[in-house]
Amino acid sequence: MNQIAKTFLFVSVLLLAACASAPKRYDYAHFRTEAPHSILVVPVTNKSVDVNAPDYFLATIATPLAERGYYVFPVNMVKSVLSDDGLSDANLVHAGDPHRLGELFGADAIMYISIERWDARYAVLSTAVTVELTYTLKSAHTGRELWSNQQHVVYQPQANGGGIAGLLANAIVAAMAKAAPNYMPLAHQANNGAINVKGTGLPAGPYDGLFGKDTSDY
Amino acid sequence: MNVRVLLIAPLLVGLLAGCVTNHQRYGWGTYDPSLYAYYKDPTKEAELAEALAAVISTADAHHAVVPPGIYAEYGYLRLQEGKNLAAVELFKQEEAHWPESKVFMDRMIKVASTPAATSTTK
Repeated sequence: MNQIAKTFLFVSVLLLAACASAPKRYDYAHFRTEAPHSILVVPVTNKSVDVNAPDYFLATIATPLAERGYYVFPVNMVKSVLSDDGLSDANLVHAGDPHRLGELFGADAIMYISIERWDARYAVLSTAVTVELTYTLKSAHTGRELWSNQQHVVYQPQANGGGIAGLLANAIVAAMAKAAPNYMPLAHQANNGAINVKGTGLPAGPYDGLFGKDTSDY
Repeated sequence: MNVRVLLIAPLLVGLLAGCVTNHQRYGWGTYDPSLYAYYKDPTKEAELAEALAAVISTADAHHAVVPPGIYAEYGYLRLQEGKNLAAVELFKQEEAHWPESKVFMDRMIKVASTPAATSTTK
């Protein structure tokens, strides 16, 4: 029981610290000038070796953006339509003109997301699963950057307990994480950390009551 | 399975929920996991279509707003099945509920209404 309480306290402190830390406030001047209503999420570029990462990630991003109050274009349909138009290469789409994309879809802003890391590193007694993402929102009207954010999320499963039994338990947990690392909770956590944090996240969108009224936070 | 992990997990979830407001604006049903499952196994397109249809029917039953993009995603799957009329109907719904989608939906309605053009969209 003591062990449980200690573990819980330790992790709680870490979590609370994560909540409290206030990174440098983003400069929202351009964002406020344009006040975008709709966001087009284009296919995600990938610097990891996991070829499936961009698709898997795409399944996590529409919900938090829409919940923030924006119209979010249908991500899977957009991906397919771009692909039909010969734009299946995310790197090409990212290198292209935001204004042109905006015209095609009638979007106010384009969300470019890059997967920097999406991996599990195995070290016998512990596996660290890492997701690192860069988010850049650009105006479809002017091409200017409206907002950007970086997230680095690590999950290191730990079976707590001392002695040989504890070591064995750690090795088993690590092996399980290696065999089938679950990136989805990390992707959700990264999106949450990017979008929903005051001072650095996305200001409320037009379907949120605070649209245009949250300037003291953003 | 470690008992401690089981005990701690719900508490952590509670704490994390405290960090950010977790209010849900829309009912998403199983949209996220179904899209993930579809990307993992593209043969699960029917399951994704079912999940999207369920999001719409649940919202309708509660007189709630269908989340942005859902009518369109569902319509696109219909279009890929060759059910162009159903697709057009859904694209029109997306446009009626979400005026931001007008440019894109008008374009897709045109594609779905032109028999020759549908072949280029799989």
